[in-house]
Amino acid sequence: MPRHIHIVKVHHLTLSFPTRKDPDPRPVLDDVDFGIRDGEILGLIGNSGCGKTMTSLAIAGLLPETASVTSGSIKFAGKDLFAMSAKERRAMLGKDIGMIFQEPSTALDPLMTCGKQLEEVFTAHGDKELKPDERRRIILEMLNTVGFSDPEEIYTRYPHQLSGGQRQRVLIAGAAILKPKLLICDEPTSSLDTVTTVSILALLKDLCHKLHMTILFISHDLSAVKGFCDRVMVMKDGKIIDKDTTSDILSNPKNTFTAELLTNARLDTRLLGFEPANVDYSGSPVLTADKISAGYGRSLFERVKSKTKDNNILHDVSFEVYQNEILGLIGGSGSGKTTLIRSVLGLLPHTGTVRITSSSVGAIFQDPVACLNPAHTIKWHMSEALKASGKAKAVEGTGSLRERRAKTLSRITSVLEECGLGAEHLRRHPNELSGGQRQRVAIAMCLIQEPALIIADEPFSSLDASSSAELLKLMTDINRERSTAFLLITHNIHIVRQICPRVIVMDNGRIVEEGMTSDVLTNPQSECTSGLLEAERQIHGL
Amino acid sequence: MAKNRIKTTSRSPEASVFYITGLILLGIVVAAFLVSLIWTPYAPDATDAASKLLAPSAAHPFGTDNFGRDVLSRVMAASKYTIFISVAGVSIALILGTVTGIPAGYFGGFADRAIMLAGNSIMCFPGILLALVAVAVFGASVSNVIWALGLVFAPTFARVCRTGTMEIKELDYITHARVMGVKSARIMTFHIFPNLISQLLPATVIGLANMTLFESGLSYLGLGVQPPDASFGKMLSDAQAYIRVAPWLIIFPALMLVFYILGLYFISEGLRVNLSKGGK
Repeated sequence: MPRHIHIVKVHHLTLSFPTRKDPDPRPVLDDVDFGIRDGEILGLIGNSGCGKTMTSLAIAGLLPETASVTSGSIKFAGKDLFAMSAKERRAMLGKDIGMIFQEPSTALDPLMTCGKQLEEVFTAHGDKELKPDERRRIILEMLNTVGFSDPEEIYTRYPHQLSGGQRQRVLIAGAAILKPKLLICDEPTSSLDTVTTVSILALLKDLCHKLHMTILFISHDLSAVKGFCDRVMVMKDGKIIDKDTTSDILSNPKNTFTAELLTNARLDTRLLGFEPANVDYSGSPVLTADKISAGYGRSLFERVKSKTKDNNILHDVSFEVYQNEILGLIGGSGSGKTTLIRSVLGLLPHTGTVRITSSSVGAIFQDPVACLNPAHTIKWHMSEALKASGKAKAVEGTGSLRERRAKTLSRITSVLEECGLGAEHLRRHPNELSGGQRQRVAIAMCLIQEPALIIADEPFSSLDASSSAELLKLMTDINRERSTAFLLITHNIHIVRQICPRVIVMDNGRIVEEGMTSDVLTNPQSECTSGLLEAERQIHGL
Repeated sequence: MAKNRIKTTSRSPEASVFYITGLILLGIVVAAFLVSLIWTPYAPDATDAASKLLAPSAAHPFGTDNFGRDVLSRVMAASKYTIFISVAGVSIALILGTVTGIPAGYFGGFADRAIMLAGNSIMCFPGILLALVAVAVFGASVSNVIWALGLVFAPTFARVCRTGTMEIKELDYITHARVMGVKSARIMTFHIFPNLISQLLPATVIGLANMTLFESGLSYLGLGVQPPDASFGKMLSDAQAYIRVAPWLIIFPALMLVFYILGLYFISEGLRVNLSKGGK
């Protein structure tokens, strides 16, 4: 095949989702026009819903049936993709174009070993004459290339026996094994922690050179492209609004939206206006956790087998949260952060004591999709939270049913407004809101209960940079104005540095470091903290 | 957002075909039932010795039976019992099933084992046998048939509720409700149950169809609806002896039975396709 300067050429592509009711809706992709040069790593950055994923699906020929291309064309290595038959496209997918998705936990078949799944690739595309042991050799070689020191072991393992980062490596191996010309990576790192993210990005860059691949890297986080992408495109509302080399975009953004994205990615305190409250450490703590040990239940067989074995995930964890404080809790995946807060919230049986000087504790969880009940409206969620707190009577006051309802409604609306939502959201269902808005509702549900402490478990990890920055601003505002304490669990040190006066570092179910953020982060004592800091420096050191 | 909107507004054409066919078939039976409440061509129980076993004609569109009763009028009257028994029986099964199934799934442990043991014990006997025993012990009457069928069908619904609850209770919004301090009973009724409806709806519709078949079976064996009242199963069993001389006695009640059950199956299929495609 002759080499082309542009391996993919998207030519004025416009795409929309017409329905019977609305035959001419606003286009999802609007006159998108760009080329991917052979051998480069091109970043495609934008907030959620801006059309990044649709662009990648269009190139891979995986558009939903309901999509309609109104104008434009896509050429891959000189061939018009829209003119190809379905069979030709299928033959191309996997062989010429590889893809990696966001969620490594669902992309592998739980009933097949990793080796078997990689062999599937050969069954679909590979050379029929390839001998089984030859296949196996290629697969093992590939597993070695993606960074497994013991490929034989990984070959026989099932996906549930691997960590998120390892699964993503297996997926990368599967996508790269046929040596495709183009590898599309759709947010490959957003569900991974910082340390793993750095290693995956290094692997992709390495593969790009070794196998001479071209990579289209899609992300919502402008900070991830530094040192990784050659060129960056910024997308907004289905249009490409900025296109430049990475260094130019990062050092000298010409477009205002790009500059805004950059500010959000850097979490620039001065520009975004985070002002957490001043903390008085001499007062009594809001939450005192003393010697908490917890683990998940063992089966009868395991209990008989090893009576003395310590199955706990947490080992004697003690800490305090003071009034007004935003306490950061950091640590890599699997360090026991989530187990700790589940114990503190009383959701897990544990030993040790937890004392809370407030009638209610608020909680915000990681996944904005699952945190609200899909069967009910926002108004119902809010009044349910009010009822559960036992403060409903006080808010309602006395009077006729209508008066009491009006009082409850005005209270709900005022809390929602404080969280940046309005009365128009009351009748909506969770699926009609964006991820950021849903997290706001979750915060509003906590606020209406007037807790002294809100525990937030990785609330930013599935939000894009702009929503995260807005949510952080909301949290600091609440902290300052209502003197509510926060326990913020995150793997993002950058956020901790900006808003948390004090920080706790966890590793292997133990607290390895605790102290003022500035001390801990400038002079890390433990290996775990240094590792997190190093990863953060590579990713967020803009 | 654009993608989301499409999902919620447009129904898949496949589901629409199922819905329309199902509603037409079911509509015939329900229309017969509604009309029978105010008018039937003849009184369903009125015998006429002069017109025994007449073939379908203008005066008797569905013919007459061995007592000279008008089959059309009897089919219309029978639809009343069939619909009443299936709806009442399913309601009992649904209430029993949700009231036991949701706590079993939610609390787990001993409560779960005890409830599921009771349910499985019922399920390991053939349903018709249990219903037969119940009717034999308590006597053959419409209300006994309803109770017996309700009890036999309850474990099916309990299972649907239990598995659904076990899935939902692990989701963040239920954890959130627990953290907020919502009581268990309230979580089960207002937080979990509304999310089970999409799973219960097809099960209910299928339950209606299965219950109708059971009821017809019981009536056929002479244990359901008692003469002179008519139900489809009873009419079929009465007509057996005349199958050669008067096939219309079999054909019309059987057709109505087929319409009712097939209609329900089509609707449940449509619901299944639609709910699984539309996402929860």
